[in-house]
Amino acid sequence: MEILAKLAFTIYAVIILGGGLVAVSAKSLVRSLVGLIVTFFGVSGMYLLLNTPFLAFMQMLIYVGAVCVLVFFAVMLTRADGQGEEAAPITAKRRLYALAAGLLPAGGLALVLVKHPGISKILPEEVPLPALGSGLLEQYSLNFELISLVLLVAMSGAVLLTWERKEKK
Amino acid sequence: MSALTLYQLVALMLLAIGLYGIVQRRTLVGMLISVELMLNGAGLSIVAAAQLTEANAMLGQLGTLLVMGLAAAEATLVLAIIVVVSRRFGTTELSALSTLKE
Repeated sequence: MEILAKLAFTIYAVIILGGGLVAVSAKSLVRSLVGLIVTFFGVSGMYLLLNTPFLAFMQMLIYVGAVCVLVFFAVMLTRADGQGEEAAPITAKRRLYALAAGLLPAGGLALVLVKHPGISKILPEEVPLPALGSGLLEQYSLNFELISLVLLVAMSGAVLLTWERKEKK
Repeated sequence: MSALTLYQLVALMLLAIGLYGIVQRRTLVGMLISVELMLNGAGLSIVAAAQLTEANAMLGQLGTLLVMGLAAAEATLVLAIIVVVSRRFGTTELSALSTLKE
């Protein structure tokens, strides 16, 4: 990596770390959501560094555009504001357990990763957009259809779950 | 350290933050946010592994697109579940939901 790429990588990593920490530790869930959005932008920058501009665009479109709005609806539909359930202080024991749950698996994986690093290319590969499109429609068309089926089932399931039956009330 | 290792370490960082959040949060919405963090880490890991090794780069990008689609479907369903739970219990606090039947 060149100096500039290293610099950009560091900036994106700091953005991801900061956003993630805000997302899990903010008392208000709206602030936590803002941290999540910052993390999404950081990951999007990492995709740009990895020479996949299409995925960076999709990251912003799907995660920032769709998933965050959904989470925001979840925040609005429940009482999850600053005076809500998350505002009470966390006990030290719970924080310790959470730290252990986070650091033990990730630390173990990181140990393996550092001890046995994979052979890395200097420059990331470049896949042209037409190749992605034809792959989606020819070689992996079944997966493409299945993911649309999953989305359809999830959406109709969501409608069915939140359906209010009038006759019961 | 090689570029691949650095990207994977960032993805592991997202995994650690997400796991920490999912244990530490007390509401369903907070847990949903942590799950999204972990899914992002998974996507980043897949793309880094596909772009920086001899593996099929197109397959890696398409796989990450599928992960994004699954994340959207999952967020939709979790939103519906949160709405149902908050309507039935009046709260999404986990300590109030931990009993199966009274």
